[in-house]
Amino acid sequence: MTQKEIVDELKALIVERLKFDPRRAAEMTAETTLPKGVEGSLGLDSLDFIELSVAMEERFGIVIDESDSLTDEFLSLDSLSRYVLSKVR
Amino acid sequence: MNGRRRVVVTGMGSVSAAGSGGSAAVASALARREPTIAPIKAFSPDGSSSRLAAEVDDALLMDLLDAADVRRLSRICRMAVAACRLAAADARLEGGARLGLAVGSEYGDFRSGAEFFNGFLRRGPTGLSPMIFPNTVMNSMAAVAAIAVGARAPSVTLNQATVAGDLAVARGAALIADGRADAVIAGGVDEIFVDVYRGLAALGALSPMGGGGPEGCRPYAVDHNGTVLGEGATFLVLEDLPTARARGATIHAEVLGSAWGGIPVAPHTAPAARRDAGRTVRRALVQARTEPASLGRCYGSGNGDPALDDWEIELLAADGIRTPESLAPLFGQHGGLGALRAAAGALSAEAGDGVSLVHGIARGGCRTAVVMGRAT
Amino acid sequence: MTRVVVSGLGVVSPYGVGAKTFWTGLATGECAIRPLTVIDTEGFRSRIGAEVPADVLPALGASRRRSRADRIALAAAREALAEAGLGTADRSRMALLVGAVGGGMLEGEEWYCEETRTGRPSPRIRALRSILPVSHAETLGSRLRLGGSRETVVMACASGAASIALGADLIRSGATPLALAGGVDAVTRICFMGFNALKLLDPEPCRPFDRGRRGMSIGEAAAFLVLEDAEHCRARGARVLGELLGAGMTTDAHHVTAPHPEGEGMIRAMSDALTAAGLSPGDIGYVNAHGTGTPQNDRVEALALVRIFGEGGVLVSSTKSLIGHTMAAAGSVEAAATLLALQHGLAPPTANLRDPDPEVPFDCVPGAARPVELGAALSNSFGFGGQNVSLVFGR
Repeated sequence: MTQKEIVDELKALIVERLKFDPRRAAEMTAETTLPKGVEGSLGLDSLDFIELSVAMEERFGIVIDESDSLTDEFLSLDSLSRYVLSKVR
Repeated sequence: MNGRRRVVVTGMGSVSAAGSGGSAAVASALARREPTIAPIKAFSPDGSSSRLAAEVDDALLMDLLDAADVRRLSRICRMAVAACRLAAADARLEGGARLGLAVGSEYGDFRSGAEFFNGFLRRGPTGLSPMIFPNTVMNSMAAVAAIAVGARAPSVTLNQATVAGDLAVARGAALIADGRADAVIAGGVDEIFVDVYRGLAALGALSPMGGGGPEGCRPYAVDHNGTVLGEGATFLVLEDLPTARARGATIHAEVLGSAWGGIPVAPHTAPAARRDAGRTVRRALVQARTEPASLGRCYGSGNGDPALDDWEIELLAADGIRTPESLAPLFGQHGGLGALRAAAGALSAEAGDGVSLVHGIARGGCRTAVVMGRAT
Repeated sequence: MTRVVVSGLGVVSPYGVGAKTFWTGLATGECAIRPLTVIDTEGFRSRIGAEVPADVLPALGASRRRSRADRIALAAAREALAEAGLGTADRSRMALLVGAVGGGMLEGEEWYCEETRTGRPSPRIRALRSILPVSHAETLGSRLRLGGSRETVVMACASGAASIALGADLIRSGATPLALAGGVDAVTRICFMGFNALKLLDPEPCRPFDRGRRGMSIGEAAAFLVLEDAEHCRARGARVLGELLGAGMTTDAHHVTAPHPEGEGMIRAMSDALTAAGLSPGDIGYVNAHGTGTPQNDRVEALALVRIFGEGGVLVSSTKSLIGHTMAAAGSVEAAATLLALQHGLAPPTANLRDPDPEVPFDCVPGAARPVELGAALSNSFGFGGQNVSLVFGR
């Protein structure tokens, strides 16, 4: 998979699993920030991140070790897709 | 009430098949003549012996909410949040450590439970959605409503058939009288979920209850043959009287008396011959210093379920009270209906109709009595 | 002012039937968390829990057609009423408050799975009649002929404690002299799967307050207290097991799963309970913590305990380390543990505590029960979604 494909898959998961409006997904780019508390972000909190992790594990066939602090990786769609890429290889 | 704190009604909020809004909207919903009960639109009732319901309009519900705010909330949670916010706004009430919640519900969030469980049935452990799980516990509506209105005093969820809303109002008033809160947003919520509706219809729990006769909600009528489900959320704002006065709140009515009790009968039964040794209504009337003969309006929980209607009439007759009025045809049977009854009682007292009794009895014997009058 | 005493206690726990069996298990520090057998756990990360022993159920004397939760609730309620020695007249005025969440969901799930698997109607459908939390109050009320008020309180992990607090309120307000208050929850697939999905369960038995703790262990139980107006109890010459001195109930209103990061609601609940009891923190000799064993709960609860008691200011232990998190029953089962601790002058231990977390600056009674002179003790139940109850008991 390319990074762009992963970003598109992540957007689909954000709509499907986190119940975001599809129109909002269309506006998202790789630079879109994710966590609550960051200006202009999607505003995801801990519960969203658990849901997203579970969804990512299933969609990409990866294993996310929950003892890993993934704060940096979850910052934006760009950083998250790079993380997935590294796990998939 | 023997030196206990006095409790008044300072606002209300409702989302139902009749619309949504604060006290003005509730008053006009109560005055409407056209029924809200209609053929179900949310799903196809094919194969079901019951086909009617009083449904909430989803577009109207979403108009009351910020989509981004409620993104994760299930439908029943959205109803609860919308109605609690309407109630708080109606009462011009702010959140805080002295604001509590009392939420009654008959079925809770079965929709989320089914969605969560189905994830497992379809795809095993990896098909489970962690995000949905918190909604599967019946106190989720209270938890999200507490966040929405900033309620940090006790938030109590009560599960009860038929009179969930009445029970929540009675318990809410007690939370104030006992000093656990200065204000409580109290009421009930339920939604119609296809699996629950079909299940109840199959069990013969909805009109026409497996018999002949037209499907419909005809409480206390000779041809009553079951109830019709409704959905929605209705909450009253109950408040300590001095606190309400100090902040210049609108005082619609006072809870002059409130009691609840249990008649020990077999679960799901409503035996017309059984009496209430605990004298629930009498206790509430004594608190209210009112006699049955001087009651203005009387609202009952009878909803067309023949055994329940008949039992209620017998119980009230033993208390010296005539056949009550039912609001079930207007809104359908659901957890919010008891709060709508209490709202009606408060509004009619405010309008000068005298003291009202809001009575409730459920199969299995849970009995409630709330007396509303003008606040003096 | 009306005082509320406890005149009866009934427990069905992962140790077996009866309050005596319960206390023996706690006092010896036996951990009852083992591989689950009531449900299929294949494919899940955490597969253990604390179940009511299999040989106990048939001996409970309740019909096999009743839900598991109804059966253990009836047994616990019966024991409490028997101990209190209440006759028909008293029972006819007795209020009933049941903390419940799962209801008869275990049997409801069995029906749903069978119908989904076979595609045909299943006779297990009768389970739906007792699926809701309210079914316990209906069963208990009718079987035990309790004629007072009834409430089914759903407050997540604080349900069992909230029932006790609200029952005591009824007595203090003069609405009734007697209340049977408690909670029940049986193992259900939805609870097991849900906490697994949220990654809140430890694959090994939970280790509350341990530096290496990784999550909760689930459990099941039923516990009921007979609460009584002290004067009424004295007048009929009944034995007093302890006194409910005060209760605090608050809501975080912060997040659906995470507690307030500084334990704001927990602090208020404990503070309100102490104020209601007319006590100061120094009067409390033992705290029965909520202590689930999740990294977050224990850290925040410790913060809140420091604010109230000061570092090292009181003995603390977690019953959940021994019998798991019994959900709606937890508040009442742990109230029972607290009462028994007071009676025996013995603080039950925290099991599996090998490397105490330095962020929890308390003696958490590792491994073995500790004899301690106790005048008053406090029990915490902090429910999912930020609904908090603290109970203060005295001898």
